[in-house]
Amino acid sequence: MNIFSLAAKNLMRRHVRTVLTVAGVAIAIAVLFSLLSFNAGYERQLGGELNSLGIHMLAVPKGCPYEAASLIIHGGVIPKYLSYSDLEHVQKIDGIEVASPMLLHQFFKDDKPHIVYGINIEEQKALKPWWKVEGRYFNDDETGVMIVGRSLADKENLKVGQVLDFGPDKAPTTIVGILERTGNQDDEFHFLPLGAAQRVFGKEGQLTTIAIKVKDLSKISDISKKLEQIPDIQVVTMTQVMGTIMNLVGSAQALLFSVIIIALFISAVGIINTLIMSVNERTREFGMMKAVGASGWDVSRLIVIETLIITLAGCAVGLLVALVGSKLVEGFVRGVIPYSPGGELISIDPLLILVCIGFALAIGLLCSIYPAVRCARLTPMEAMRSDLE
Amino acid sequence: MKDAIISARGLARSYSRGSEQVHALRATDLSIGRGEFISIVGPSGSGKSTLLHLLGLLETPSAGSISLGGREMIGLKERDLVKERRGSIGFVFQQFLLLPTLTVEENIELPLLFSRKPVSKDRIAGIMEMLELSHRARHLPHQLSGGEMQRVSIGRALVNEPRVIMADEPTGNLDTATADKIYSLFKKLNQGGLSLIVVTHNMELAGKADRVIRLRDGRIISD
Repeated sequence: MNIFSLAAKNLMRRHVRTVLTVAGVAIAIAVLFSLLSFNAGYERQLGGELNSLGIHMLAVPKGCPYEAASLIIHGGVIPKYLSYSDLEHVQKIDGIEVASPMLLHQFFKDDKPHIVYGINIEEQKALKPWWKVEGRYFNDDETGVMIVGRSLADKENLKVGQVLDFGPDKAPTTIVGILERTGNQDDEFHFLPLGAAQRVFGKEGQLTTIAIKVKDLSKISDISKKLEQIPDIQVVTMTQVMGTIMNLVGSAQALLFSVIIIALFISAVGIINTLIMSVNERTREFGMMKAVGASGWDVSRLIVIETLIITLAGCAVGLLVALVGSKLVEGFVRGVIPYSPGGELISIDPLLILVCIGFALAIGLLCSIYPAVRCARLTPMEAMRSDLE
Repeated sequence: MKDAIISARGLARSYSRGSEQVHALRATDLSIGRGEFISIVGPSGSGKSTLLHLLGLLETPSAGSISLGGREMIGLKERDLVKERRGSIGFVFQQFLLLPTLTVEENIELPLLFSRKPVSKDRIAGIMEMLELSHRARHLPHQLSGGEMQRVSIGRALVNEPRVIMADEPTGNLDTATADKIYSLFKKLNQGGLSLIVVTHNMELAGKADRVIRLRDGRIISD
């Protein structure tokens, strides 16, 4: 027998109460871990997604530039367009390595949205050097051809060489290539030559955005100012997009954090209540222990260890639940936040596990201090005679 | 008088109950010799349990001094008092106060956990054999009779090899035959050289001790 087995046996005396307290801690820790993991995973995925666009800034029509940028990254359609004269202005600015015009269009098939990108293939390859394709790329002057993303191909069971009736006119269109998996939104899209896309969707001469890659990153600010002098154009850098999205997500996170704080507070009050009840019931026993040689420290240690067993067991259960249920949490947060990048949003980081364990230890210690100190200060006979309140 | 193991001078204990000052024990002088078997008797409220608790360092006197093995106890820090309780005194209570989740063997071992002494399984087995509890070693307190529970409580008091056993109404919850057996056990322990101070209501049992101290209204009226 040691102090730990003694503490564990004491806890099992009121096992229903102990289990309920452990459950309270577990819920609080599960929510805490899920949110911290989501926070870390979200920022990482968002940063990764923006980097994987291969572009440094977007020229978009004047309006709400950040919303437009979010739509473009996520795959959406904005109701304003740029012209080729805007593109010419952009291309004349010094310091720009690639300025690639794009047209985005959305259509629905079986009630599911499909995103089409009209692109100049050589420029896109320069922006996204990691692109690899099964089959072949199209040429910019081809018509009736397209490339599709890997996930889309898998979902729709599309093969290289397959011919689809595509667009409003059901024009026969051959899949000449399927992109190898990129891990970002490109996996979900259809890509057509820009000119062909404009013709198919009746948007001749119209551009949704111009993706820009600069030669020198330190010149982004100067180039951005020059771009903004072009009428009809607003510029959004990827850093701004990330900041804007994080701000939008921030309000949803604040709500979740407040829920967590309430959950933790309820959990802490529950633990303190359980402990005080448990100590009250056993005051005479603690008096007996002191009479047979226990010091105040021994009694305090026993109370603290009992509390830590509860909080650490709750922490272990909570982490397990959070790990097992991370997909559910991911589904939930995707539903409540305004923008969610692709990939795994929940990042399982050992450091976060340590943070949660540390948090559980801190809660346990804080909750046990009052009953432990109170009990330690009593003389053996005070403890044996009195009931603590 | 044999060598004094405990001596008290002017020992008193009073406390407030509302506006009233209660004198549980008035200035009391007492000396207990090594190897003595003493009964303390008296009616309820006479101060006998208070005297025992003060001598056992379980509470602090309002006045007076206590010397244990020649060492003055008043003024000692709590950690020194803890050492004395661990090393010199074994306590037995009327309500047994066994931990319900521990087996007989573990309840007897309990003080060793606090005194950080290694657990000698042979010694625990020896105590259980002497107390006729060997067959109950793995049983929990609720599976025992009253007499068995009190024997476990005595085993727990013996495990740290104290110089004196102090028992507060140890037979108060037991029937006559069981109480007789407990006293016989005390006698046997005393014959082995252990000092015993036993508080009791039962005059017949008290008479089995070497020395009987009578208290009334917080004072010793006969010794």
